[in-house]
Amino acid sequence: MPGWQIFYHELKDKNFEIVSVAQDTGGAKDASPWIEKANPEYTVLIDEQHLITKLYSMVNVPTAVWISEQGKIVRPNEVAFVDDRFKSYSHMDSGPYLEGIRDWVAKGERSSFVLSEAELRKRLTPVSPDRLMADVEFSLAEYLYHAGHGPEAIPHFKQAQRLAPDNWNYKRQAWLLSDAERDYGTNFTKEVQKLNGKPYYAPRQMPEPADKPN
Amino acid sequence: MRTHFRCVGLIFLCSMANEATSQVRNVVIYDDAATELRTPSPFTQSKDLWVTLAELTRSTGFVVKPQGVCRSELCFPLPKQRKADFLGQRGKVTWFNLSEFARLVKQPVAHDEKLATWCFGPRPEGQNGYLATLEAPNFALPDRSGKLHSLSDFRGKKVLLITWASW
Repeated sequence: MPGWQIFYHELKDKNFEIVSVAQDTGGAKDASPWIEKANPEYTVLIDEQHLITKLYSMVNVPTAVWISEQGKIVRPNEVAFVDDRFKSYSHMDSGPYLEGIRDWVAKGERSSFVLSEAELRKRLTPVSPDRLMADVEFSLAEYLYHAGHGPEAIPHFKQAQRLAPDNWNYKRQAWLLSDAERDYGTNFTKEVQKLNGKPYYAPRQMPEPADKPN
Repeated sequence: MRTHFRCVGLIFLCSMANEATSQVRNVVIYDDAATELRTPSPFTQSKDLWVTLAELTRSTGFVVKPQGVCRSELCFPLPKQRKADFLGQRGKVTWFNLSEFARLVKQPVAHDEKLATWCFGPRPEGQNGYLATLEAPNFALPDRSGKLHSLSDFRGKKVLLITWASW
């Protein structure tokens, strides 16, 4: 977050905004320490119901969407790191991504990082019935958790995880709300090991130079 | 504002009421807002959720009209041959099968039987509607102080919408 503040400071006078949304069932209580530490000038919102995860079909954090002045998506959600602290997970340099944003902010529609409508339509596909069911099971689980029924929430969190197996947000959030080993028989480290070399984040599909392998 | 905190209050009241009457009171979560139903359903053999017409409107905003089940300009006609699947009379009260309606409009539903809680999700065309225009789906969420911000507030600027989490 402090990294994004520096980046925002660089671009904020160029008609550019960062809207940063915490995907936390625990709400402001869980997210606040991070916000206080960074004290960003940009907008930080609290999303207790993982609304943005659902609306934008996100499966991981941090991921970001680029939105034009007209409110149109110009790049759908993709991994978005401001530095290379987690490169062992992302296998990608953050530099080319930040260069891409700078290019877009400077050139707008003429930026080679802005996707064509055809490309957007290729990347953005309708959500499956299973995914919609996963979302509603997750919503029910969160509601029950907040209503003081933590144990009763677990089967619904599990159902959401079964129906949307690639959604790390649904896994990691649920694990945090209880004892992952006891209630889910796993933990984050074990699940990452199970990937067995497969990327934790979907590889970014960006024009040169970002496409160059690390 | 529609938040879980409101829901928490409702389920607390709900559990107190249950103790008094020993009857199951359903909780309906619709468009992310929870409503505790006041009238226990007489359709005790049904696995579906039946609600009175008044509670249908209170919990979902939908109203049963001659032309269908409607909310503002949106109207879903009920199949003529299957009216009895959707509407049932008990004494003077007309009941509506909200589960059957969800199946009709392809709305996903999650149910916790023990806690009598039903959660209705968005219809596929609601979730996927933005694909027609590629407009970024709008939302309104609070900042740390509780003040709501909408994506549309930033129209006219480029926006990097980024998610993160404490976990």
